[in-house]
Amino acid sequence: MATTTLTPTIPAYRTGLYAWLTTTDHKKIGIMYVINSFVFFFIGGLLALGVRSELAQPGLQYLTDLQYNEFFSMHATFMIFLFVIPMLAGFGNYIVPLQIGAPDMAFPRINALSLWMLPLAGILLLLGFVTGGTAAAGWTSYAPLSEDRPLAATGYGQDLWIVALVLIGTSSILGSINFLVTMFKMRAPGMTLFRMPIMVWTVLVTSVLVLMATPVITSALIMLFIDRNYGGSFFDPSRGGDAILYQNIFWFYSHPAVYVMILPAMGMVSEILPVFSRKPLFGYKAFIFATAAIGALGFSVWAHHMFTTGAVYLPFFSIMTFLIAVPTGVKMFNWVFTMWGGQLMLKTPLLFAIGFLTMFLIGGINGAFSASVPVDFALHDTYWVVAHLHYVLFGGSVFGVMAGFYYWFPKMTGKMMNETLGKAQFVVMFIGFNLTFFPMHELGLAGMPRRIADYSSTAGWNDLNLLATFGGFTIATSMVLFLWNVFVSLRSGEPAGEDPWEGNTLEWATTSPPPAYNFDHLPEIRSERPVFDARHGRTATH
Amino acid sequence: MAMTTDSHPLPIEHNPLASMPHDTHGGISNPVLGMLLFITSEVMFFGGLFAAYFSIRANAAQWPPINTETGQPFQLAILPFVGPATILLILSSVTCQYAVWMIRANDRTRFLRAMSVTVVLGAIFLLFQGIDYTILGSEGLTLSSGTYGTTYYTLTGFHGAHVFGGVIMLSVVLYRGMAGQFSAKHYDAVEAASLYWHFVDVVWILLFSLLYLLPGKTPTT
Amino acid sequence: MHPLRHPRNAALVGIIFIVIAFVFWVVPTVAGLTEPYNLVAAGTTMLLFLGVAMAIMAYVLVAGSSDE
Repeated sequence: MATTTLTPTIPAYRTGLYAWLTTTDHKKIGIMYVINSFVFFFIGGLLALGVRSELAQPGLQYLTDLQYNEFFSMHATFMIFLFVIPMLAGFGNYIVPLQIGAPDMAFPRINALSLWMLPLAGILLLLGFVTGGTAAAGWTSYAPLSEDRPLAATGYGQDLWIVALVLIGTSSILGSINFLVTMFKMRAPGMTLFRMPIMVWTVLVTSVLVLMATPVITSALIMLFIDRNYGGSFFDPSRGGDAILYQNIFWFYSHPAVYVMILPAMGMVSEILPVFSRKPLFGYKAFIFATAAIGALGFSVWAHHMFTTGAVYLPFFSIMTFLIAVPTGVKMFNWVFTMWGGQLMLKTPLLFAIGFLTMFLIGGINGAFSASVPVDFALHDTYWVVAHLHYVLFGGSVFGVMAGFYYWFPKMTGKMMNETLGKAQFVVMFIGFNLTFFPMHELGLAGMPRRIADYSSTAGWNDLNLLATFGGFTIATSMVLFLWNVFVSLRSGEPAGEDPWEGNTLEWATTSPPPAYNFDHLPEIRSERPVFDARHGRTATH
Repeated sequence: MAMTTDSHPLPIEHNPLASMPHDTHGGISNPVLGMLLFITSEVMFFGGLFAAYFSIRANAAQWPPINTETGQPFQLAILPFVGPATILLILSSVTCQYAVWMIRANDRTRFLRAMSVTVVLGAIFLLFQGIDYTILGSEGLTLSSGTYGTTYYTLTGFHGAHVFGGVIMLSVVLYRGMAGQFSAKHYDAVEAASLYWHFVDVVWILLFSLLYLLPGKTPTT
Repeated sequence: MHPLRHPRNAALVGIIFIVIAFVFWVVPTVAGLTEPYNLVAAGTTMLLFLGVAMAIMAYVLVAGSSDE
């Protein structure tokens, strides 16, 4: 199925680096999002290795208490705001217009603006390391600790952090507006809302969450900034303010944010499982409604992060939190029954997708424990929570991102990735991930608190911490394999052709990589699997 | 699949559909839809600020709190600046909408006139607000004078920042209008800016009612 | 037009959050839990604003793309 593309003559100034820096093409922007996100993944990863190195043995070996606080605060900040969220936005940027048959996003220049705000924000955050210290009050920056101006030697780090996050938030909000207008107004003829691929649907719900929730953290951050720099008293109890108010407003955003961090990854897995099982997704509409339910419910559980403050109406938030397990469970069934009875192609994308399913399931289960108030009273701020958040964010989002990367790398570059290296990376990463984070369940149950630089050598936590550190370096090894694979594949990967995986959705109906205008022409769209239909000459079923 | 053999050269990043002023689907145009969605995000931003205000107010036994300089509760005067400023802002929304109606009817002269008046009224609002701030400051109400000052200046200050942004937006629209860029067929930017301006007005009415008109509370003992 | 396509019906999605806001406010008040009152005020406000914003968003998205 060969297609020729138009090859226009290109003026010299439009090539090379200048073209990339000034582009408004969603594909180039998407790729730069992905690259930027990996850069900060590595920086965040190095900070994690710093944390794990310090914790491997009791006693302070390499870092001071303050440096340790800066390390875990910035680790989480980079991972959440400059890796997971933008990585998923980047994949969405690349894939969504292709999957709906559009030539680009609705607002291409705003798309570019959203992108470039991110490295700028990253630089602001990194500047903290050289201007007297970064933020060191956790990625959550709770008042009053974050308001304490002379917090040891933190200098301007906390303020830089605030400004950087406001920039990132603005970038996200603009991106969400772009996505929503694109999805509602630029679909190809024949693509009704209920024929959109699941990836597009998850990006849709994610965009709603970003649009509605992110401005709330902007307001919290601004109030924190005013308290820190203009003598404000929002969160200062001695002058009529309320420190817990900060947490309240902060989590109103940060809880929906975790769904922002997982839903597009779920969308990617939902694209991969049908293709690699040679079966349509089980329960397409149920999946969409489950996604919407998670989005809606996600707005009503935020104070489950604050159970122990004594200022929360506990039953309401506990019940709503348990409820979220229901639509999530529906999705689990959808995925499993997609694979059931299918012809599995055990390639790297599927391996990472299966890794996602199993690891995210564990994360969901240990989260359900925390939804119970009495259990949470014991486990709050222990390593149990660290285990939970990494099983859902690493086991979930990162494995999902890896799956998506291996799946769409051929489309983005025209080259296949090395299967052997890919499988090796999966095995090493899977083992390393579980070695790092599974012991943390036990550590949390044994009472080890989080966010501490040191621990007593007689508490019984030594061995598991050492194991977790070993696991951390194993993950690092897997990432070296990953980088090697990317390098080798870009250099001499097999040519991919238009549709190397026999995909279902429209991105596989054009060349790899697609031309600037995306499609020479589109197949008829009569279902959510137009390329599958065209390949098998099927007529419309719905 | 058919093969395309057309060798007509295309500019490398031409995106025909993305830049179309008239949309492939009916309903609201892309820029206006984008502005409406942006406005919903701004609703949530003010929601966070209002949440802080109501929370702090609910916590306080005495509201407005006692001004340590005068020994009396803080007072916000509606006259001579804030009341008239409010009326002028509401009036500017009317003139703004009138401007939209006029350009829809292709009446460029009336559109430009109404838009100029809107910009001027917006600027006067900001001026009056600024003067009022200096008066309040001299009475002892500042960002750092306690929660009342912090919440008052943050809420009205961010609203003022939005008015300022709106004035700039409307000025750009006015400039483009004077350059002849708008007509009955092409006025998306006018409509988008005007929607933003109405939003800014609605937020002020809400703010004004809550900060100036809502009765305070005193301890019951 | 199919009822699900009508923008006014789409705006009802905002009602969900206004209902949640109401439940969130009413239950602690009726159950006599006035101590964490400050938290109820903040949460109710944010949920209420969310309901309004969601209603506007749903309305304009459906109204804006009605010509399927």
